[in-house]
Amino acid sequence: MAILETHDLTKRFDELVAVDRVNLSVEAGEFRSVIGPNGAGKTTLFNTITGALRASEGEVVFEGEDVTALPSYERVRRGIGRSFQITNVFGGLTALENVRLAAQSIPSREMSVGSQLFRDKNRFDDVTAHAQRVLEDVGLGEHAETKASTLAYGDQRRLEIGLVLATDPEVVLLDEPTAGMGVEETESTMALVDDVLAEQTLLLIEHDIDLVMDVSDKITVLNRGSVVRTGTPEEVASDEEVQAAYLGGGHA
Amino acid sequence: MVTGGTLLTQLLNGLSVGMVYVLLAAGLSIIFGVMDVINFAHGEFYALGAYLAVGIAAALSGVTGGFWIALVAAPLIVGVIGGLTERVTIRPLYGRNPLYHILLTFGLVLVIADGIEIIWGTQPKNFAPPALLSGPITIAGFQYSLYNYFVIAVGALIAAGTWLALTETRVGIIIRGGSQDRGMVRALGIDIDRYYTLVFAFGCVLAAFAGIVLGAKQEVALGMGNAIIIPAFVVVVLGGLGSFRGAVVGGLGIGIVQTLTQTYVPALTGVIVYLLMVGILLVKPQGLFGNPEWQNHGGEEGDLLTGGGGGILDTTTRRYLAAALVGVLALVPLGIGVTYSSYIPNSLVLNVLVWALFALSLDFVMGYAGLVSLGHVLFYGVGAYATVMMAMYVTPVFWVGLLAGVALALAVAWFVGYLSIRVSGVYFAMITLGFAQLAYNLVTKFDITGGSDGLYTGYDATYGLGIGEVGQVSLLGDIQLFYYVVLALVVGSYLVARQIMRAPFGSVLQAIRESEDRAEFLGYDTVEYKRRAFMVSGGLAGLAGGLATINSFGVGPSFLFWLKSGEVIVMTLLGGMGTLYGPMLGAGAFLGLKEILLTFGESTPGLLGEVLSQWQGILGLIFVVFVIYVPEGLVSLPETLQARFGAGGGGGGESATDATDAEVSD
Amino acid sequence: MTPMLELDGIESGYGETRVLGGVNATVDEGEVVALVGRNGVGKTTTLRTILGSVEPWAGTVTYRGEDITDLGDVETVQRGIGLVPEERRIFPGLTVTENLELASYGGSETENRRDLDWVFDTFENLDERRENRGSDLSGGEQQMLAIARALVSGADLLMLDEPTEGLAPMIVDRVMEVIEDVRDAGITVLLVEQNVRVALDLADRAYVLAHGEIVHEATPEELRADEETVERYLGVSFAD
Repeated sequence: MAILETHDLTKRFDELVAVDRVNLSVEAGEFRSVIGPNGAGKTTLFNTITGALRASEGEVVFEGEDVTALPSYERVRRGIGRSFQITNVFGGLTALENVRLAAQSIPSREMSVGSQLFRDKNRFDDVTAHAQRVLEDVGLGEHAETKASTLAYGDQRRLEIGLVLATDPEVVLLDEPTAGMGVEETESTMALVDDVLAEQTLLLIEHDIDLVMDVSDKITVLNRGSVVRTGTPEEVASDEEVQAAYLGGGHA
Repeated sequence: MVTGGTLLTQLLNGLSVGMVYVLLAAGLSIIFGVMDVINFAHGEFYALGAYLAVGIAAALSGVTGGFWIALVAAPLIVGVIGGLTERVTIRPLYGRNPLYHILLTFGLVLVIADGIEIIWGTQPKNFAPPALLSGPITIAGFQYSLYNYFVIAVGALIAAGTWLALTETRVGIIIRGGSQDRGMVRALGIDIDRYYTLVFAFGCVLAAFAGIVLGAKQEVALGMGNAIIIPAFVVVVLGGLGSFRGAVVGGLGIGIVQTLTQTYVPALTGVIVYLLMVGILLVKPQGLFGNPEWQNHGGEEGDLLTGGGGGILDTTTRRYLAAALVGVLALVPLGIGVTYSSYIPNSLVLNVLVWALFALSLDFVMGYAGLVSLGHVLFYGVGAYATVMMAMYVTPVFWVGLLAGVALALAVAWFVGYLSIRVSGVYFAMITLGFAQLAYNLVTKFDITGGSDGLYTGYDATYGLGIGEVGQVSLLGDIQLFYYVVLALVVGSYLVARQIMRAPFGSVLQAIRESEDRAEFLGYDTVEYKRRAFMVSGGLAGLAGGLATINSFGVGPSFLFWLKSGEVIVMTLLGGMGTLYGPMLGAGAFLGLKEILLTFGESTPGLLGEVLSQWQGILGLIFVVFVIYVPEGLVSLPETLQARFGAGGGGGGESATDATDAEVSD
Repeated sequence: MTPMLELDGIESGYGETRVLGGVNATVDEGEVVALVGRNGVGKTTTLRTILGSVEPWAGTVTYRGEDITDLGDVETVQRGIGLVPEERRIFPGLTVTENLELASYGGSETENRRDLDWVFDTFENLDERRENRGSDLSGGEQQMLAIARALVSGADLLMLDEPTEGLAPMIVDRVMEVIEDVRDAGITVLLVEQNVRVALDLADRAYVLAHGEIVHEATPEELRADEETVERYLGVSFAD
């Protein structure tokens, strides 16, 4: 069953159609990558699905529910988590507090006003335990009390993934999680994604075909805002239109 | 009956007032557009212009054309003073959050206002226009004041000249470019910083000119700057920050609307302007002609600097210090009659406690959720009015009144927050200011709120126990029960606020301060969180307002005056925001210093005493120094001192501020 | 021959975050040099460090034999280095003419300095829109204006940051033509592009930037032939 679908999803900025009638259908448990050359509309598609941008037309359907009009925090609550391309953690707070905040998000809706306002945040044992588990999972157990802004870059990216993981998402959208990383860091990050997010449905936005060839169940190729092809890595790699999308550019 | 003649008269009156607004708003708007400085001192430069003109005209009495010489010379002098002010005080702050400019220029307001009082005294001055411009003149059968024609003509001429200078000259184009994207002007190899002094000085010249023209029409008096600055801001915000066109349309529009309202709908006088501003901002958050894009490249905007959180003092030490401070406060009344009169605890310390609570309430939203409320006095005032009115009209039981005050403040905070929290930054600050001014003008209109006199009452049946009047229940001699009630409520409020910050709700507020975007993508409805924080803050401010009425035996419009909003921001920053206790210490430092200055001023003869009595000006100077050198507030002083003088530092100077700081509590 | 611009061991970043970890590069007079790499590797930071709006942590920037490392952005531009920034940053409230006039008040008096007449002769679409406000221009027109603006300010070395970003393919072609014209006029170009194809079509030489360091320097032909580098650092495949 498809957990996340888009129907003719379109996003326009004035004259530019950044996302043009995109239809996606992602199965539960699938690892889907969306690739495409620069300017193909990957990040805009991403933002329209997560709610950072409002769709101009079309719909986003999550677990059978039309979420197109919902604000982003409501989508997160329903189980759509996202990471940021540029590391966006709470720099002034400790690594543990970062993850704890993420872990607290969903349970906080069930809390009484009294405990929300007055009960010590560290005395919600479930939340704290969950946060600590997530921190261990992403390999930052030793850095629990380190201020996030002083973590090494690679560790900040790990924390970023920990933040997403701690909200218990069904679907995780990852926006170029290895942007700006060296070769080794890239590999370890992809291994981390594969490892800790194994149970989630993944939608990974990526520039680099090779990086996603081995890990993806299916790949969707985007060019100039439209879907060129969706298929298994092998199908996509041998597709002529895909070759053209990457090689065609604007000028040649 | 509206006749053509009176309507025309009113329109012309409106235009002449509007021209004054245009001159003020144009300067404010350009200064904000180019430098991001919200210049609260603009009204004082306006007043300074008028006073200088009076001085020059007086010195030249007998000389023909004295008025004209003053009209030209005074603005130029004010321009030079303005340019120097920019160089010395504002320049070090570029790149910081605009809030620091508010604080700085607020300090300048106090300094300049007191400077004027020291030089020219408290009596209003008459500054008559020359005979040439006096009296009415009849044109095409319509009789009207010649001087008003003069104001309109000269204002239009200057506005047009400014417009031409902005569009047709080299400097003008650079300044307009700078107001849209400063960084890009620099990237074209133009040193835009060099133009800041010029822009500021020019704004001051326009303000001074406006002051002279209006001063000659009405009178030149203390407080004329305070009275004009808020409407001038309304014009700027309404027209769109940084937009010259907006300043012209907004200025003339407000002038005409104000005048027509006075004549035809007197009930709305004073209110209409703020209603308009709030309404327009809610529909069009950038104002009428505001450029929605100017903010996008303002990425240079600095962060709000929060206090160091005690830094070098460990938690246990701070806890002891806090307990000691509360202990000392509890013992203060015992000194009555021994070392000081009952004035110290029952008036001074009580006042400090109430303001500490008020500052705490502001820190709750400003230091933790990043919401800069320029109209926080609204909740303080609403709490005060509701408390007193409950006692007068419903039941004299003090508790009930206090509860009503908190409840109404909460409700008003919900309403204001509901409408305005989605508007960001400076516009949020201005909307809150607008609502506060609305309330200020409303309470003067109705008998039920006591009009401009206010309401005065005692609270019979103290505390609902029927032992006597609040403020009159003595435990022993002059030691009042009320003192301990307030102390308990203030300390309790602090503990509650601190606990909220340690609970899930507070932790989300801190996340929002770090990165609102990220918090939203963790599943938090950040707007809702900010609204609720605003309500808590409003409730606390309402409690402070309610408690304040006991000391004053009632409430008056001054409880809603905008200067109080400025003062509480000053206290918050002075102490160190984002710490909860810092702003409370800031309130103590502010009021303590004021008291010391007043006492010394009274007992010191001669000029020095007179200067010291101008406590506001001296406090203003201290803030200016603080904003520039200690932006993280008093609570960061131990760290700053340690950094400067090494590990053993700080011990050497037990200055007043040091002593306060040593009491930093957890 | 000494290079026109030389970066020697440039380290740079924001706050505590290091972005550049020792960048070495040169640009010779008359060249078009491309700086390519994936998102977030430090391309824009390199330009900003050259310009002086970001202060380098270590290393030197030399321009025409002069050490300009410590100069601010204004002084750098006054020496003849011009920037066409990301997202173009046209003054939205100024007309096309005013945008250009403003540029003509700054910059440096180089031989390559162009006047407004030249701009309007060269860019017909700008000529037609002289009195339109910057905010009323299309993306392509804004890009032309941004380039023209840098030329009017007298750039000898023109730094372009993502000039084709967000533009329709037809407009991309037009922008590329303009950049070629700029080169033919004798102006040196340092081009930052994520669109590798555009970059390699225009450049004489390219640097590949990855995690804050130059990992490769090559001619476009060499790069096109070097599948491994291209796929690894640029995430683009040229293979058939």
